[in-house]
Amino acid sequence: MLTDFEKGSIAKRKLILRDSLAIFSLFFATVLLFAITLFLFRSFTAHRAGLAQLWSDRGREALQAGKPADAIVDLRTALTYSPGTRAYELLLAQALAEAGHTDEAYQYFMGLWVAEPGDGFINLQLARLARTRNDRQSAVNFYRASIYGTWEGDGVARRSEVRLELARFLIDQNDLAAARLELLIAGGNAPDEFNRDMNTADLLRQAHDPINAWTYYLKALAQRPGDPAALEAAGRLAYQVGDYANASRLLARLEAESAAGDSALSTASDDTILLEKAARLQELLPSPALPARERVAHILAGRIIARQRLSACSAQFNPAPKLPSALQALNATWAGPEGSAGAATLLHDSALQDSAVQLIYDTETQTEMVCGMPTGDDALLLRLATTPHPMSLPESEGTGGTTDSRD
Amino acid sequence: MNHRQFAAHTPAADGAAQAAALREERLLLLLSIFIGVIAGLLVVAFHMAFDWLSVLMRGSSPQPHQLRLIVVPTISGLVIAVLVRYVFPEARGSGVNQTKAALYIHNGYISARTVIGKFLLSALALGAGFSSGPEDPSLQIGAGVASQISRRFGLSRERLRVFAPIGAAAGLAAAFNAPISAILFVIEEVIGNWSAAVLGSIVLSAISGVVVARWFWGAEPMFRIPTVNLVDPRELLAYAVLGVTGGVASLAFTKSVGWLRPLLRRQSATSQLLQPAAAGFLVGCIGYFGLPQVMGAGYEAIDAAMHSQFTVQVLLLLAVFKIIATTLSFSSGTPGGMFAPTLFVGAMLGAAIGSVEHHFFPHLTGSIASYALVGMGVLFAAFLRAPLTSVFMVLEVSQNYSIILPVILANTIAYLLSRILQPVPVFEIFTRQDGLDLPSMEEQREESDLHLEDALHPVTVPVLQGGVSLLAAADALAQFGDLSAAPVVLVHCSDGLWYAATRAEMDSLLATAPPDAAGEESVALTPAADPSLTLEQRLGPERTPVLFPDLPLASALPHFQRWLLLPITNRAVRGALEGTVSQDDVLKRYQQR
Repeated sequence: MLTDFEKGSIAKRKLILRDSLAIFSLFFATVLLFAITLFLFRSFTAHRAGLAQLWSDRGREALQAGKPADAIVDLRTALTYSPGTRAYELLLAQALAEAGHTDEAYQYFMGLWVAEPGDGFINLQLARLARTRNDRQSAVNFYRASIYGTWEGDGVARRSEVRLELARFLIDQNDLAAARLELLIAGGNAPDEFNRDMNTADLLRQAHDPINAWTYYLKALAQRPGDPAALEAAGRLAYQVGDYANASRLLARLEAESAAGDSALSTASDDTILLEKAARLQELLPSPALPARERVAHILAGRIIARQRLSACSAQFNPAPKLPSALQALNATWAGPEGSAGAATLLHDSALQDSAVQLIYDTETQTEMVCGMPTGDDALLLRLATTPHPMSLPESEGTGGTTDSRD
Repeated sequence: MNHRQFAAHTPAADGAAQAAALREERLLLLLSIFIGVIAGLLVVAFHMAFDWLSVLMRGSSPQPHQLRLIVVPTISGLVIAVLVRYVFPEARGSGVNQTKAALYIHNGYISARTVIGKFLLSALALGAGFSSGPEDPSLQIGAGVASQISRRFGLSRERLRVFAPIGAAAGLAAAFNAPISAILFVIEEVIGNWSAAVLGSIVLSAISGVVVARWFWGAEPMFRIPTVNLVDPRELLAYAVLGVTGGVASLAFTKSVGWLRPLLRRQSATSQLLQPAAAGFLVGCIGYFGLPQVMGAGYEAIDAAMHSQFTVQVLLLLAVFKIIATTLSFSSGTPGGMFAPTLFVGAMLGAAIGSVEHHFFPHLTGSIASYALVGMGVLFAAFLRAPLTSVFMVLEVSQNYSIILPVILANTIAYLLSRILQPVPVFEIFTRQDGLDLPSMEEQREESDLHLEDALHPVTVPVLQGGVSLLAAADALAQFGDLSAAPVVLVHCSDGLWYAATRAEMDSLLATAPPDAAGEESVALTPAADPSLTLEQRLGPERTPVLFPDLPLASALPHFQRWLLLPITNRAVRGALEGTVSQDDVLKRYQQR
């Protein structure tokens, strides 16, 4: 006969055993359910990853095919199956930008930027979008952040490209001083490479820095001495700044390279004209650096041309009392020693030489205002008149140094 | 009457009862973890199921003008209607009211068939594109799991009842990936009060559910949240406008569901069988003709709205058509939840207001995502009438505390406006339409409990000091004159506590008192009649319970079995008497309510 205590004890043990078995069963069921769920989940995630890949590939192809609107749909679908995948997000943002959804693309890139504010690519895209939105300051800030940001792959080259793009933007904004600074840094940081040097030189020329532009053209020519594009660009720059000797030399080389090379590379007609002009300008330029005898010969040749131009222009105003006061004043000056002195007189009087040169220039300037644009040698003399301080650029393509010798 | 006579149980019986209570308490905590884990696993599986079905049925990239956007929900509607009618009749609805009904009507019981039906039919409805959400079904699935597990352990009926909210919290937490919001919602909407008995278990199960969900889905919040911030204090005005808009939108939403649901339920049985198909057809048409975002749960659209991918016009269109699509889906009896559509509408309205604000005051406006997030909270507060949950939900989803001010402001405005415009909350409308009489959680929250101070009366009975002798006590009593109107004498003991002695007790004590100095007839001195003993020593160690005026009125009730009158004392000064309450006082106070 069991006592109450023993009965209670047995009942308690039974209860503990029952609870233990129930908890064990529950644990087993939980493990089983977990295993099944895990198996299904792996299959599920693999399936979703496959769909994400499929749609992102379609989106990428559409983007490459120039169909950003289709790419947007495809990439959004890809992101549905793989939310937060950075590569897809970047593609989608690019597609939005290319499709003209500037604000949306800007917002999208800003979302990505918040996660990675130091990413060079994202900052570059934001800079471009800020340009489109006419937000100059933000564009500059994002460009700079891009330059100092992180890049995958060749960071040096990418940063240099971004800096050149920033310089282009600054040139467009007419902030030439800032553009020059960026270009010089870009050129200094990047290793010499023909295309990059040419690009830098072109941009420096646009930023009104011909001397440094010349340096980079020379660097480019040092790498590819006979490159027609480099010869032409350098020759034109030399012509532009008034260094007609270098202009003639480079354009002549361009002509020679073209003649020796493929017919497809034949010199363009305007290059030939420019060459002829440069050669003639060399003959007319009364540079003080020339030997005295040669300078006087140039002055005399110019004086004849200018005199003829004045006569032709004055002839348009017949009878004489209708002659404009500017031409009347010029005629009076021509009657003086600077208009009539011979070679011997000029040879010994450098002040008179300068007066004669000034008379030639005044004549071309005034007649241009009264009788319109001149042609031929008059046009060349007018060019000399309006470029009073032509530069003399260094001749060697290998030196790389810059000289700023002005008359 | 001696209080010892009231002891109803033997020590052995008390011990057994205590052991049983201890066992249940321990099991409750242990089972809460299991329930959380299993509910979490089922919610993960549920999520996979409707996502998979969505790809299978609607294609991997649903776009407008795809015919299957109409065909799939129509056919699925037919299948769902047949299954709901003949196989899973308890699976219809959102799941919140069904869980409440289980708690208050069925002792927390939810059948396995209901759980399976809810899982399958909600997944089918969501996958087919019906406008609903997975959170409320997850809540019911969790509650069902808890119900099924708890019944295997032979627990008391009282315990069994509390398992439903424990499972509900786990299911909702796993679906939302937001444990605090889930716990608060269950407390606000299912239980209705902060019960310490189940709070620990609810927390345990919710955390277990979230841990499981995060193990599979990762710790990221439900939506990719861009920068959320409050740029300028003046921006709060825009959030106030959002609160007003949310309040009005919730009214429109509540009215439309409240009107269409009973209307459709009044139709013939055959018509009801066709209603889900008709709803599916109409929802499909919305998707086919340009707004496929309103189909399904709509999380992708919420994400897109937060990332400024819609124009104001599209945002407003999406909000309006989501209300229409959800009204159709829900009123037709298709299983599915209301949470996701509420968040959807709120996000669209928020993003729309943010976009307008951004257009006119670009320097005063934070990100559009901030507005979308606050909008979600606003609709949650106004439509589902869960203000506390709505605030924490936004904080948990955004994982950003800096947005707290706009959230509180906008949610409060929306909540108050919604209460004024629509006094009856939407879940209560549904329970009334279903003929149930479940407690209103909103009313329950606002009920002001009565306290002892509400029944407190000034002390009118004699008060004696416990440290005096019996003779001195008798003298003191004599000064009170006729004591027939005072059935109790309060004795203030030297330990600061009180003893409410009945007249009978006092008479009995005084009868044993020694004769006074007048030389009356002497009586034999017994230990109890020892003249050196004070009044409180004669009364023994027992004291009346220590009660304070701010305690619930009901807390006095158990003590009237032993004491006729209860002294109410001051919390600041030990033993200082504030007044007294009798059983009659308490009952009268309740009757006055």
